[in-house]
Amino acid sequence: MTEADQSHVFERVVRPHFDRLYRLAWRLTGSKAEAEDLFQELLVKAFGLLHEIVKIEEPGSWLCRVMYNLFIDQHRRFARERMHLVDEGHLPGEGLAGLAGDLDPVADSERIEIFGRLDAALQQLSEDHRIVVLLHDTEGYKLNEIQELTGTPIGTVKSRLHRARARLRQILSDDGTIS
Amino acid sequence: MNEKDMMQEQELLELLKDYPVPQAQAGFYDQALVQAAHQGTRRQRNRWMLTGFGSAIAAGFAIWVITATLMTTPQVPDVDPTIPGVTVMLEEEHTVRLMFASAMALDSATLTVSLPEGIELAGFPGQREITWETSLEEGKNLLPLTLIALTPAGGELLARLEHKDRSQTFRLRVEVS
Repeated sequence: MTEADQSHVFERVVRPHFDRLYRLAWRLTGSKAEAEDLFQELLVKAFGLLHEIVKIEEPGSWLCRVMYNLFIDQHRRFARERMHLVDEGHLPGEGLAGLAGDLDPVADSERIEIFGRLDAALQQLSEDHRIVVLLHDTEGYKLNEIQELTGTPIGTVKSRLHRARARLRQILSDDGTIS
Repeated sequence: MNEKDMMQEQELLELLKDYPVPQAQAGFYDQALVQAAHQGTRRQRNRWMLTGFGSAIAAGFAIWVITATLMTTPQVPDVDPTIPGVTVMLEEEHTVRLMFASAMALDSATLTVSLPEGIELAGFPGQREITWETSLEEGKNLLPLTLIALTPAGGELLARLEHKDRSQTFRLRVEVS
């Protein structure tokens, strides 16, 4: 297979999953720059495994697992406080700008403020708890999908989800975001 | 869970459900595909500025430091005065550029920066040791490190570059004025 053929096959297999993968990268890293790095790293790795990907029944799930493992292996080693890098695509800035509409600027402003508080609350969770609650409650992953993705026993996933929600409830009720 | 908790949880779930993710920039996916397909394309990881200058040394890799300030600094107690040094201002950012020269392109090299107490790397608050995994180009590669001195103590910064069974440690005296 020529390089052009390989590129064509690769694109055909992976492109349908790009939005899902990009969202996952965002949820894992919390910043645009790191999400893009992780996404790019995944594609480079996946391209080298093209012969395997074409045989996989659900390449989307496989790619998500590879992305998660890349994140754990490499990005977590930085031990960075990703959510604190407010100058690079941190949600209260770049991310929430996309929420602004032109119908009701007051409501938009309120939404941005509320999600800013949610963002701040999420920062206070441990990485494990934050990832589980974002994948389950925001991205709609099922518990067994999180188990499969992260390799964490389902009981632990449930426990993390429960604790993450409880902590978020506490933080957000204390600051009046939820009643 | 009482009724109030349940209502709060419902509110929380609605909030989380709507929690936004920005769209990828136009053209990002196409660019990522092109880069993936061309394995030789250098991966821009971790916002390193790795710039190849084409010159290589005989074998292995070496590390130097380049700074915008004078290299000569007064002697600091408890720190070896013979190693290169840099002076930074208290609570002001100061960028030190480390230069890594490699005889060959290296994938999966690991760089660990260990900071003295009271010195932080911008973007890594409260962390004394930061590890990167990266690739080095053949020739010279530049890594800017932005230091912030939180106390006047100063000390010794260590940058350890490892690849397979080889490693080299660079020491830099950091003095605060």
